[in-house]
Amino acid sequence: MATITEEPAAATGVEADKARSHWARAWARFRANKLAFASLIFCALLIVTALAAPWIAPYHFSETDPDARLAPLLTDGHLLGTDLLGRDIFSRLIYGLRTALFVAFGAELASLVVAILIGLSAGYIGGRVDQGLMGITDVMYAFPSYLFAIVLVTVMGRSLWAVMLAIGISSWVTQARLVRAQVLTVKEREYVEAARSMGASGMTISIRYILPNAIGPLLVTTSFAIPAAIGAEAGLALLGLGVQPPTPSWGSMISEGTSYILAAPHLLFLPATLFALTLLAFTWVGDGIRDAFDTSGEDR
Amino acid sequence: MSFMTYLSKRVVRMVLSLTAVSMITFTLLQLAPGNFADIQRISAGASQFGGAGTEDMVHAFASRYGEEIPAWRQYLIFMKGAVTWDFGPSYKYPAQDVQDIIAQGFPISATIAIIAVLLSLVIAIPVGVYAAVRQNSAADHGTMFLITLGTALPNYLTGVILVLVFTLTLGVLPSSGWDGPQHMVMPVLALVLGPTAVLARYVRSSMLETLREEYVVAALAKGGPRSTVITRHALRNSMIPIVTVLGPLLASLMTGTVFVEALFRIPGLGLYFAQAAASRDMPLLMGTALFFALILMTMNLIVDLVYGYLDPRIRAAGGVSRWRRSQKSPQRQPA
Repeated sequence: MATITEEPAAATGVEADKARSHWARAWARFRANKLAFASLIFCALLIVTALAAPWIAPYHFSETDPDARLAPLLTDGHLLGTDLLGRDIFSRLIYGLRTALFVAFGAELASLVVAILIGLSAGYIGGRVDQGLMGITDVMYAFPSYLFAIVLVTVMGRSLWAVMLAIGISSWVTQARLVRAQVLTVKEREYVEAARSMGASGMTISIRYILPNAIGPLLVTTSFAIPAAIGAEAGLALLGLGVQPPTPSWGSMISEGTSYILAAPHLLFLPATLFALTLLAFTWVGDGIRDAFDTSGEDR
Repeated sequence: MSFMTYLSKRVVRMVLSLTAVSMITFTLLQLAPGNFADIQRISAGASQFGGAGTEDMVHAFASRYGEEIPAWRQYLIFMKGAVTWDFGPSYKYPAQDVQDIIAQGFPISATIAIIAVLLSLVIAIPVGVYAAVRQNSAADHGTMFLITLGTALPNYLTGVILVLVFTLTLGVLPSSGWDGPQHMVMPVLALVLGPTAVLARYVRSSMLETLREEYVVAALAKGGPRSTVITRHALRNSMIPIVTVLGPLLASLMTGTVFVEALFRIPGLGLYFAQAAASRDMPLLMGTALFFALILMTMNLIVDLVYGYLDPRIRAAGGVSRWRRSQKSPQRQPA
């Protein structure tokens, strides 16, 4: 057959599915999930908006307009109105999105790094190191993570970086446990033993052979951790412990909004709506990723 | 391993963890910039040293911890009191001992948390069972959609939505305060959605699994009425995994009420904790942190014991928590 290279593309169903890699199959399943795919596009738009905030937002987030305080929706020059100080709500929502995504992605990156380091060393080295590190995760498990984040923010101040680190540090435990469990199951497989017998160092084995197996499950937990971190950032701000004003956060906007609920309900309505939509979109992406990697069958 | 050995081992581990929690909290607080007096001065906006609060605090500080004593001694003095449930006076509320503040604030947090959990059980079990029995029907998909909403939205955001509906649009419920049942409705409803979603998801997947068990198939084959088989045979066994989620759920609710308390301005314990951290109120922060950790660990212990009682296989395997941890974590979403 001359057209042998075209064969896999022409084949249908199971055979084509087998021919592709694990990742390609997962992606195909993700694509097929309309809600998840639409959410992914929405999330991508949110990320672009956050990155381009200075160009998209018509005003700076702290710029006040003394002539237009508590302006209602569709005011001239302020599409979504202004807050008590006359700051443009649309601009503050966009910068708030920037705060939320920066903190969430940064926090999850930090917690992933910690989780991978601790999980890998605990699982691979084993023995005393394992016991010690798992002892630490036990203590962290006993410390309610929100409360820990509150204490950490108090210590590190209320800068963007501090809030990010506080959320990251208080949320790595589950992922560290996951990495460790993955390492323990993979560690005794033949190909790892083969690598070891060929003289590969512990580092090489961990990174080249063990870690790739843990990426799927890690991706799933991380995709659910992102909306959780967005929620944590806003929650801290709601308590007055989030990023220092005037840097906008949806949490502090909501907190302000509750004070003027009768006079200017859009102060509460707008951030709450955008916040809810963002969380839902990220959660649906997470659902899609989980289903894409879940090969167990018809249950879901 | 006998029950008593197991129990004493767990209690020893709890004491060690509590000590670690207290040390971490204390150390972090020492590292925090500014002490209580500084914060009071800044927030009072006064340039002269010592507002009203500072005088009282220096007095309280002197009577319990002495002036100018090193941090490690302060820690020891605090912990010495803590073992006999005497956390000493708070800096910010010098007239009150921390344990009295706990006794005052915790029932409020616990009340809304417990009502929320009970309500979520009442809702989640029938919903989960129904979704499982009608797997892949429109009702099932609808339920799963609501479950996603419940897991995605934090309780304070649900609270905001409730405020927008009930206070703003309908004008029937007060948006803040705490005196009377009308103040409890929205906080409880805000808290209910999350645990309901988690529980319904567990009930559904647990039920789906049980429905495929041979004894259920056998009971159906013998001609047992479908509803009886579902409630008497399947549901009872599906409930075992639910117990494991319930403990962490209740514990996380009791500590997680802090945001709802902040939103609805309810004087619960969570709010005291957040204020204590912000104002560097060492005794209050340490006391509440230890108390919350104690609640969390006790819940986990009780759940492990109940689970061991319900399913002897796990008891025999030695240590429930190890088994439970190897399962999916309750915060994550089970398939």
